Amino acid sequence: MDGLLNLWQATGLANLTFPALIMMAVGCGLLYLAIAKGFEPLLLVPIGFGAILTNIPVAGLSEPGGLLYYVYYIGIDSGVFPLLIFMGVGALTDFSALIANPRMLLLGAAAQFGIFATLFGAIALNFVPGFEFTLKDASAIAIIGGADGPTAIFLASKLAPELLGAIAVAAYSYMALVPIIQPPIMRALTSEQERSIAMPQLRAVSTKEKILFPLMVLSLTILFLPAATPLVGMFCLGNLMRECGVVDRLSNTAQNEIINITTIFLGLAVGSKLAAEHFLTVETLGILVLGALAFSIGTASGVFMAKAMNRLSTNPINPLVGAAGVSAVPMAARVVNKVGLEANPHNFLLMHAMGPNVAGVLGSAVAAGILLALVG
Amino acid sequence: MDIVSLLLEAANLMLTGMVGVFVFLSILILAVKNLARFAGPELTCDTSDRAPSKPSTGVPSDHIAAISAAIAQHRTKK
Repeated sequence: MDGLLNLWQATGLANLTFPALIMMAVGCGLLYLAIAKGFEPLLLVPIGFGAILTNIPVAGLSEPGGLLYYVYYIGIDSGVFPLLIFMGVGALTDFSALIANPRMLLLGAAAQFGIFATLFGAIALNFVPGFEFTLKDASAIAIIGGADGPTAIFLASKLAPELLGAIAVAAYSYMALVPIIQPPIMRALTSEQERSIAMPQLRAVSTKEKILFPLMVLSLTILFLPAATPLVGMFCLGNLMRECGVVDRLSNTAQNEIINITTIFLGLAVGSKLAAEHFLTVETLGILVLGALAFSIGTASGVFMAKAMNRLSTNPINPLVGAAGVSAVPMAARVVNKVGLEANPHNFLLMHAMGPNVAGVLGSAVAAGILLALVG
Repeated sequence: MDIVSLLLEAANLMLTGMVGVFVFLSILILAVKNLARFAGPELTCDTSDRAPSKPSTGVPSDHIAAISAAIAQHRTKK
């Protein structure tokens, strides 16, 4: 009889708690979004599955000794996975649109206002009972507005590891929702006439410029913001490998194998942070709201900046490209192109939007560096 | 720490952060512009002095048509 009782005690049925069950349902929800709806499937599949695994009773996958514990400890606690992904993103990024029109960097800078405004908003949320965000928590939440998964995970792992699960899920969900969140804001802030502005063709960019660009970005980061060098450095390494033309094998590996392998484990490790006791809190709800706010403010401030630049500049600038400044490469640029085509079917803005789009990646890495330097 | 002083600190961070991002990226704009000056593409893609393209072979076109028809016929027989 004792044996049977012990066996019963070892079953999942006897140990399953209601919160864990809810979190498994959340994991299944993420899997559904990824598989049936195609929302960021590369990340949401491992994250959703990780959420299921981490909530399995008795197995203790996320406790010391468990697989997910070690994956998290090695990859995210150390900050290694987001940086490896950033190297791959660097190897995937073509900066020519930005080098041809460097003023687009201003749009990438303006869109970062979403981050800093949300930081303020997160602290203001403390007036609501139940919320107790510190400055570190608020900074980690605000970086969702940078619309850059690896940057958000990197910063959250340094500043607020206990909120990492919610922050990563919010960041990736909203990145998948860019085509839904951005267009209404873009349409509301621009006139039909502004949306149909055609921009002059971009000049050709030499190989020498493309090779020197990452080195230059790195030197400036070393001089002015060393706190951002982990992110920017890995990004520039990936980009240099892509552009220098002598290490195509390494560049291909960074773009494919490394980024894929890392994505699997990064997703699992993020999923492992979706344990019921950390995720089923009122703070998660706050993070989801603040994340949407950060995206919207970032989009709006990018559009406003582009409008101002259009007024002051001799070359016309379509205000829509400002929305691409939030990064979320290349989704935001595609959204700009689509909204632009609605207003003027002959106006292809994709290449013009790629400039602010990659500027946004640099901008959010710089913003993360500033937050690390000031708050971390 | 009470919320008001945290808010002040957040506002301060917002200001310094935005100024920091703008200053950094503005420096980058200047740097990229200078980069274009000495490493930009050479604007010598003058196509006018390119030799006019010649027909690649001296074989008349009806001969080519006849030969390709023969090859096609041979392949279909196979």
